Amino acid sequence: MSLFRVSSSPHLYREDTTRVLMLDVLIALIPALIWAIYQFGWRVLTVCALSMASAVLFEYLFNKLAHKKNTIGDCSALVTGLLFAFSLPASAGFAIVVLGTFFAIVVVKGLFGGLGKNIVNPALAARVFVFISFPAELTRYTDPGLRLGFFESLSADAVSSATPLAVLKNGTMPSESALNLLFGSLPGSLGEVSALLLLAGGLYLAIRRVIDIRIPLSVLATVAVFSYFLPVKGLDNVQFMLAELLSGGLMLGAIFMATDYVTSPATKLGRVIYGIGIGLITMFIRYFGGYPEGVSFAILIMNLFVYYLDRYTKAKPFGQKGAPKHAA
Amino acid sequence: MAFTFKGGVHPREWKLTERSPIAKLPASAHLEVPLQQHIGAPAAALVQKGEGVKLGQVIADNANALCCPVHAPVSGTITGITTRMDASGRMIEYIGIDNDFADTLSETVLPHTRPILETSAEEIIARIRAAGISGMGGAGFPAYAKLSSAIESGVDKLIVNACECEPYLTADHRLLLEHPDAVVGGIQILMRALDLADATIAIEDNKRDAAILLRSVIQNDLIRVHLLQTKYPQGDERQIVFAVTGRQIPAGKLPKDAGCVIFNAATCAAIYDAFVTGLPLVSRIVTVSGDCVKKPSNVRVPIGTAFKDVIEFCGGYSAEPDKLIAGGPMMGVCQWDDNAVVTKTTSGILALSKVPHREADVCVHCGKCALACPMYLEPLYLAAYARIGQYERCKDFDVFSCVECGSCAHVCPGGVPLVQYIRTAKVKLKELAAAKK
Ligand code: SF4
Ligand code: SF4
Repeated sequence: MSLFRVSSSPHLYREDTTRVLMLDVLIALIPALIWAIYQFGWRVLTVCALSMASAVLFEYLFNKLAHKKNTIGDCSALVTGLLFAFSLPASAGFAIVVLGTFFAIVVVKGLFGGLGKNIVNPALAARVFVFISFPAELTRYTDPGLRLGFFESLSADAVSSATPLAVLKNGTMPSESALNLLFGSLPGSLGEVSALLLLAGGLYLAIRRVIDIRIPLSVLATVAVFSYFLPVKGLDNVQFMLAELLSGGLMLGAIFMATDYVTSPATKLGRVIYGIGIGLITMFIRYFGGYPEGVSFAILIMNLFVYYLDRYTKAKPFGQKGAPKHAA
Repeated sequence: MAFTFKGGVHPREWKLTERSPIAKLPASAHLEVPLQQHIGAPAAALVQKGEGVKLGQVIADNANALCCPVHAPVSGTITGITTRMDASGRMIEYIGIDNDFADTLSETVLPHTRPILETSAEEIIARIRAAGISGMGGAGFPAYAKLSSAIESGVDKLIVNACECEPYLTADHRLLLEHPDAVVGGIQILMRALDLADATIAIEDNKRDAAILLRSVIQNDLIRVHLLQTKYPQGDERQIVFAVTGRQIPAGKLPKDAGCVIFNAATCAAIYDAFVTGLPLVSRIVTVSGDCVKKPSNVRVPIGTAFKDVIEFCGGYSAEPDKLIAGGPMMGVCQWDDNAVVTKTTSGILALSKVPHREADVCVHCGKCALACPMYLEPLYLAAYARIGQYERCKDFDVFSCVECGSCAHVCPGGVPLVQYIRTAKVKLKELAAAKK
């Protein structure tokens, strides 16, 4: 007589495991990746591949040394690797890429207990870490069209171009038209340049229900409102708003970084507040900070409040006084 | 009026047996009838080893407590009374009966002869109790007790639950298609007992054919057929009351506290049978399904029949199942082996093959469980605190509002056994509370 397995209900599950969701995120990033290769040359591919490979390797080694279950199968290290690479300029040194992924996977994620336990977004924390450590090397953005070969590095005398955000901060409109910003013909981090393709990826994720659009929408809406009503002196408010929305890491941050499950709230209301917070802090830093790029810091700061947002935006249970009344 | 509730999930329906008519399983040579098939006190055996019994004869009862009597589903000889542990870990007594295949009816099986409108509520309650009817949808609360407490508290809404929101299950659907008159007849008896002029049949919109048929059988506007959105757990009493009336059952309270009483469609049909033929609840319709059953079917099975006999009747196993489940896939209970028997609450028998990717148990904090929870809880924190043994914190997150519907674990990409953690927390908290007293 055979015995059957006994386990708690339910016995029927949806098929989208963490792995499936992570693969969806990778798929959503592919269009922007292809565009980056076209803009900045084959070196983009090398940087991304190196970043993903070293992220997976560090995850594997960390689990091995810490005697933990091997978790590379959930594909989250691949996503971290690719997102980190997206935030670098195409000319970033290979050693920096490896160091950054080490920081992301081992320091930010592994030491805090692995997937689901980290407090801040690993890819973003690594980005900020390397930008602060190697400011000179990482802000030498190349002009689009200057395509680097697989292993070609930037010659020392190459002039770096100012990113649109840096220009905006100086109180002038960037030379790029809004259209250029949208399609991504501009100097910048390799994965951030095409707002349009990032939006397309975000749409894919929203349709597949991988991400909750409350987060990107509230970030973008906050930035839009803020910049429309408070443009830098002397600039047209619509143009200023478009430039703020379409440049820098805002799209990448709002759609792909802020929606990281682990470091964003689990409640609907919490997500809206979190998104608005990111938008406000971003604009604050862009206005007053010494660093034109504010999204990364904004997200990292809001990451810290996720537990409290979850806790204090918790709905009253069904049937208790004050529970939401209407069917969605 | 709402047509659904907030939260919930859309599992694949797997209604493989929607089109298969109810087959009648010939009673097996030996039956093991459990004495606890309902919520309340177990029934005490009234027969002894070696005694002869007739079909429909009371073989166990407990008149002094909340209890449903148990009847012999066949005629034959008592082989003994044994005690075994069931899949939930409770010790249950079983009366063994060897079938003599004569189906000799007990003299107590007599139809009710007077018109229902001249029958008092007390008489109706007494007959429902005598017929051993307990809720046939889920928990198995004694129907007579539910009815009398509903009368006492003066409820103003009778809702008949024909949602059958669990995937795979089609037993109620087939019942509605093949015996709509029995369901409607049962509702009329309940309306009389409750002294209500109207009633509502709540049914999911994946069973439109049954809804149309019901409307044609009813032919008046006192019993309304209310189509609800197909969504799990639509058939949960809190969700169904909300969807039909817009009222929320207060936390920790019963439907009657929102002025409602709910009976399952199969329960209504059983009540009708108890009046028209006088036959007590000795058999029920079971959906036999799953990817490891050769011929998934709907079968009318005598209470006390072993699962293996039912599965044999459906062509046997097509592959070795990983799990054998009594009930639906969302809330059903796993069985150790196929000697488990059909009870008054067994709505389904599912033999399912292995699902490989469900051992991860890593919460990625995606919040999908919270969006799915029909009780507006945050299952991720319930599980997280239960995992590290901080059960008191689970109370802050309203663990006792959880109805264990399984929606959260169903959607969880990280394979967190949320319901298991929640159950553990509830048990531990109850133990702690008991220890304090
Ligand atoms: S927490 Fe309870 S009520 Fe909420 S979805 Fe999970 S099992 Fe259902
Ligand atoms: S659905 Fe699972 S992984 Fe997502 S938050 Fe809930 S428990 Fe965590």
